[in-house]
Amino acid sequence: MTIRIDGITKRFGKTEVLRSVNLEFTEREFITLVGPSGCGKTTLLRILSGLETPTSGEIWHGDKPIGHLAPGARDIAMVFQSYALYPHMDVFHNIAYGLRVRGTSAEEMRRRVQEAAEVLEIAHLLHRKPKELSGGQRQRVALGRAMVRRPWLFLLDEPLSNLDAKLRVTMRSELKRVHRALETTTVYVTHDQLEAMTMSDRIAVMDGGYVQQFATPEEIYGHPANLFVAGFMGSPPMNFLTDVTPAELPVARLDRFAAVALGRKLVAGIRPQHIALSLSPVAGALEGEVQMVQLLGSEKVVEVSAAGRMLSVIVDADVAIVAGQRAWMTFDPARLHLFDAATQANVLPAPGLVA
Amino acid sequence: MTPMQRLRARQWLGHALAYAVLVVITLAVCFPLMWALSTSLKPKSELSTAPTLIPHDATLENYKHLLTGKAQYFGGASGDYQPTTAPPQYFLSWFGNSVLVSVGSTLISIVISTLAAYSVTRFRYRFRMAVPYFSLLGYMVPSIILVFPLFLVMTRLELTDSLWSLTLGYVSVTLPFCMWLLWAFFRSIPVELEEAALIDGASRLRVFIEIVLPSALPGIIAAAIFSLIVSWNDYLFARVFMNTTEHYPLTVGVMLFFEGVHVDWGLMMASAVLMTVPMAVLFMLLQRHLVAGFGAGAVKG
Repeated sequence: MTIRIDGITKRFGKTEVLRSVNLEFTEREFITLVGPSGCGKTTLLRILSGLETPTSGEIWHGDKPIGHLAPGARDIAMVFQSYALYPHMDVFHNIAYGLRVRGTSAEEMRRRVQEAAEVLEIAHLLHRKPKELSGGQRQRVALGRAMVRRPWLFLLDEPLSNLDAKLRVTMRSELKRVHRALETTTVYVTHDQLEAMTMSDRIAVMDGGYVQQFATPEEIYGHPANLFVAGFMGSPPMNFLTDVTPAELPVARLDRFAAVALGRKLVAGIRPQHIALSLSPVAGALEGEVQMVQLLGSEKVVEVSAAGRMLSVIVDADVAIVAGQRAWMTFDPARLHLFDAATQANVLPAPGLVA
Repeated sequence: MTPMQRLRARQWLGHALAYAVLVVITLAVCFPLMWALSTSLKPKSELSTAPTLIPHDATLENYKHLLTGKAQYFGGASGDYQPTTAPPQYFLSWFGNSVLVSVGSTLISIVISTLAAYSVTRFRYRFRMAVPYFSLLGYMVPSIILVFPLFLVMTRLELTDSLWSLTLGYVSVTLPFCMWLLWAFFRSIPVELEEAALIDGASRLRVFIEIVLPSALPGIIAAAIFSLIVSWNDYLFARVFMNTTEHYPLTVGVMLFFEGVHVDWGLMMASAVLMTVPMAVLFMLLQRHLVAGFGAGAVKG
C-alpha cells in the first residue's frame, strides 16, 4: 500500500507554511524530511499525525483518505523531540499507555511491553520513572512507546537532536536496526543533512514550504535538483561559481556542458571532494593561493582563493600544504553541476540519462 | 593565617551569623504559639499568679471542657448552664462548621479553577487572556470592600446565617487566585505530553484526567492549601454573614470567650491550639508539594 500526500497546503493566519506538497511513498520505506528551520517539515509531520489539520489537500493510505481522522484513530505512532514521556508513570506504564487506552488485556500488554523493552535493551528499566533515566534511555522508552502498538506508520520528530554527538551516532544505527527489524514505514524529520543521508531510503528536501527534491540519498547528493538542495546537502558545502561560462571552467572535456549552456547565465557547482589540487602548475587549471588549512583527521579542508572566489577543496591528510602556497585546481567533469542562475534549477540531465 | 584559613574563618562567621539571625526570627515567630500552648495547659488557679512559660501543674482540663462541652465555671453551685456566658459546649459544632465550610469552598474553588485554568491555557478564544489577569485584579481588592456587596447578595439569595453563604463567600475570594496559580502551572506542562497521549488513542477527557491532572497535582495541592487557609482563618465574612451562635465557625465563635465578666484565657488558648493543629498537620504532610507548586508558579508566572 502506498501513502500519498496530496496537495497539502497549510496556512497559519497569513503565513503559508506548506504550499501544495505532494509526496508518495510505499510501505516499509524510511522517508526523511530535511530542511532548515521554518521550512515546514515539522508541520507536515504533524499533519500526518493528525495533530494539525491541513488548510487544503488530503492524505491517502492506500485508497483510504485519512486526513479527517483524529490522531488516535489513525493507528500511527509519533516520537517527539522532547520525548514527551508521561512524568508520573514508570517506564512500563509509559510504554503500555497506548495499549491500555485501546483495552488490551493485561497479559498481552505485559508480553508486548516486555518484547519491545528487550528489542530496545531497556527491560531492566521498566520500573523507573522518566526523570531517573539518561537522555539515551528516555529516547529508547519513547521508541518503545511507539513500537509497542505495532502502528503502520512511525513519525519521528528530530528524535536525536537532544542527544550528545556520540550517542547520536549510536542511536542513528539503532533506529536503522529497529526499522529493519519491524519494517514499519517511517517518516523522519531532521535538520541534520548527515542524518538524512545516512538513514533514509528516500529524502524530501524542503525549503520555504515546498518540497525541493524527493529522491534517494545518492541522487540528492549526486544530482541535486536545484541550488538550494546542492547547497544544503553535503558537508563541507558545495562550491558555487556564479556568472561563469563553461569555457572558464577548469575541466578537461567541455562537450557535455556546451549544449545546455547556450544563452543563459549559469552557476557552476562542484563539491570540495571533486576538485583535484596540485601544488605545481597544471595546464588548463584554475590557479589560486591557499588561505587556510583545516585538519579533519583523515583529510584536510583547504580554502583557496582564485579569481576573486573562495573554494574549499578536500585533500588527504598526509598532503603537505600550508597557507600562502600557490595551488592549481582542476574539476572532475563528471561531478560538475550547472544551475540556471535565474530559475536555480539544475540544467544538466540526470546521470542515468546520459548516453 | 593563610588566605585559605582566612576564607574559611570568614565563611564560618557568615554561617554563624545567618543561623543566629534565623534562630532569633524563629523564636519571635514561635513565641506567641508557645505562650498559647502553655496557657492552655495551665489550670485556672495558675492564671492569676505570675506567668511562667512552663506550667507548674500541667492539666488537660481546658481541652476536656472544650471537647466534652461542659461549662467550666459559669455553672454555679448547681452546675446548670447559664446561656449568657461563654459557651464551650458549642466548640465542637464550631469546629465542624469550620471544617465543612473550608473543605466545601476549597472543593468548589479547585474544581472550577482547574477547569478554567486548563481552558485558558489550551484553547483559543477571544478575550481568553482577560480571564487570568482580571481574576488576579479581583484578588487584589481587599475583602472588606467585597463583604458588604456580598452580604447584600446573600440576603437576596436568602442564604445569610447558613453555611452556604460562607462557602460561596470564600469561593469568591479564593477562586481568582487559585485560577491564576493553576494557569501559571498548566502553562509549564508541555503540550507534547497531551499530544503524545492523543496519538496513543486517548480521548480529550481521558488525556485531561490521566495525563494533565497528575502533572498538575503539585499546583492543585498548593491552590487547595491556599484556599483552605484563607477560609479556615477568615473572621470578617463569618462575623458579617452569621447570626446564630451554633452556626459560627471557629474564628468568630472563639471570640465569645471574651464576652461576659471573665475572659477565659485557658479555654481561649486551648481553642487556639486546637484550631492551629489541623492546618499545621496539613502543612507538614503537604509542604513538599507546596514548595514545588508555588515554585513552578513563580518561575512561569
